[in-house]
Amino acid sequence: MGFTRVYDYVAGKLDWLAAGLPTEGTNAMRPRAADLARKDVPTGRPDEHLEDVRARVGAAGWDACVVVNEARVVLGLLRAAQLQGDPAARLEAVMRPGPSTFRPFVSIEEMARFMIEHALESSPITTSDGRLVGLLRRDDAVRAAQRGQEKGGGGGDQ
Amino acid sequence: MPQEISREELRRLVADETAQLVEVLPASEYREDHLPGALNLPLRRLESDAREVLTPARPVVVYCWDTA
Amino acid sequence: MTDRAETPEQMGCGQCGGAIDGCEFCGESECRCPLCYECVNTALGQALAQPHGHGG
Repeated sequence: MGFTRVYDYVAGKLDWLAAGLPTEGTNAMRPRAADLARKDVPTGRPDEHLEDVRARVGAAGWDACVVVNEARVVLGLLRAAQLQGDPAARLEAVMRPGPSTFRPFVSIEEMARFMIEHALESSPITTSDGRLVGLLRRDDAVRAAQRGQEKGGGGGDQ
Repeated sequence: MPQEISREELRRLVADETAQLVEVLPASEYREDHLPGALNLPLRRLESDAREVLTPARPVVVYCWDTA
Repeated sequence: MTDRAETPEQMGCGQCGGAIDGCEFCGESECRCPLCYECVNTALGQALAQPHGHGG
């Protein structure tokens, strides 16, 4: 073909999307999980004690905390019930380990629907290698999904 | 045979060497989402149309959905 | 008289019927609409492979 330098990005579009990188196209104009995930969600290390984290979480006005390692890979989740536990306990002992996580490019409409059906208050949004992007709150997802429907932005779904 | 590259290498090629991105998926998928600045040349048209829309002197990076 | 151990009822994915231990979306073992890992990913488009001609 006369092209001397041709490369193949074998990991493809899925890899790019999973890394939370921007795209162009009709989907790019619709809100996705990464757009609404709260980046300021409190985080804690597995070896921290609950009493240290509880104060931090409360001061920030949150009722959830994501347990991460040094690389910000999600290890577990603390919701209100876990945060009320033994103050001396380490996070790794009281957290809900290995929570389901979702990719940055997932549609807000789908996430809102699932979070309502499963009565899930919040969901960690991570890159494909498990690093925390933010915490998606159900209320935020539902509001955004409703705004999208009001604008008639549901076209394209099959 | 094209050389396989990573996401970071792709970004470098685009930023530093004005690489041309080509998505080989069908047009409908390209319309939904594509990498910024990417052109759409579905696989069946790649050989025939590449010379018309791409600059031979610049690097070309092709991609599809994933490794499947 | 010995009691036969009761076999716990296996949970099934609400979408495909496959056996699961708990819902892969919410993580609850008593979810009323449990889904398996593959069905969650398919529904959310997280790992949807598009059909195309080349094999790499």
